[in-house]
Amino acid sequence: MVLLRMVMIVLAVLMAGTARANDNATSDNAANSLLLANGDVRLQKPKGDACIRPTEWMRRNHMDFLQHKRAVTVREGARKRSESLLQCKSCHPSREQFCDRCHDYVGVEPNCFECHIYPE
Amino acid sequence: MTMDRRTVLGMGGAAAVGVLLAPGVQLIAAPPNETAAANAHRWAMLVDITKCNPACTACIDACRKENNIPLFGDPARDIHWIRKVEVQDKERQRPPFTLPVLCNHCEYPPCVHVCPTSASFVRKDGIVLVDEHRCIGCRYCMIACPYKARSLVYFPTKPPKDGNPQVPIRAKGVVEKCTFCVHRVDDGQPPACVETCQQSGHAAMMFGDLNDPQSEISQRVKTLRTETIRPDLGLKPHVHYQGL
Repeated sequence: MVLLRMVMIVLAVLMAGTARANDNATSDNAANSLLLANGDVRLQKPKGDACIRPTEWMRRNHMDFLQHKRAVTVREGARKRSESLLQCKSCHPSREQFCDRCHDYVGVEPNCFECHIYPE
Repeated sequence: MTMDRRTVLGMGGAAAVGVLLAPGVQLIAAPPNETAAANAHRWAMLVDITKCNPACTACIDACRKENNIPLFGDPARDIHWIRKVEVQDKERQRPPFTLPVLCNHCEYPPCVHVCPTSASFVRKDGIVLVDEHRCIGCRYCMIACPYKARSLVYFPTKPPKDGNPQVPIRAKGVVEKCTFCVHRVDDGQPPACVETCQQSGHAAMMFGDLNDPQSEISQRVKTLRTETIRPDLGLKPHVHYQGL
């Protein structure tokens, strides 16, 4: 019985050890993971000073904003070059590392870029 | 200037809005780079057929390049925004001649009239456009258009290598047509076909604002004998031809 208990304790210690090793492995992978430590999706750092709208607002509303811009531009002919979809690339040069990364994570498939050319 | 009923009603509405505004409140004009297409303009084109060279396809090539229009290699399914038509006038015994035919941006466009989703619409400056975000590809407009100016996109397309990012490529299953190069017009430039025609030395095509009495196109349409294709339909097309 004592022997069994000893074996169990040894096994438990071994398991705890491997678990700690796993923890170390995850911290090594953190640099390559798509998520930051706080749970945000890791995105490409924007180049410019500031977005055309506050970042928090953009995060929540960019989809409606783009749709509204789309209607106003196409149907009313009100083109504001500084707020055109083509201007996004001046701060977010890579669509793969900015738009797509978040869209893939949340499982959203916008169809803008089936037609619109995001200049690389 | 004669005013039609719609204009009078519109002015009445504007006056009513003016009265409704609280005293001291002013409507603020949008900044200049954000002004919408205005009624003040009425864009139109004038083609001098006597200067159009039958062998020249500069306007078609320029249009394809500017608007990223692919060639599928199937004439029955290819997209054309502008095409050359050969005319043989048997009545007047003239030698055959060619003319470019494109969307005529009618004042009363039948395509807009029949569109079930309001995808085809007229902008305030008279340019007829397809909002391809709304188009469901029913092709009713293609049947309605007497100028055969509309094409359905039958195949998926890829962006060309050195394409023009200003103009989106097309999704499969929507109808599209000449836009008078609306992205250029909004920047104050003429459509690509007109610019190329001027540069090639033929100068058969010309573009301008019919609402501006001083513009060259207004002067020409006023003084020269210009015609439109199928004026009997009463659509008031805005591509005028000289020497037809």
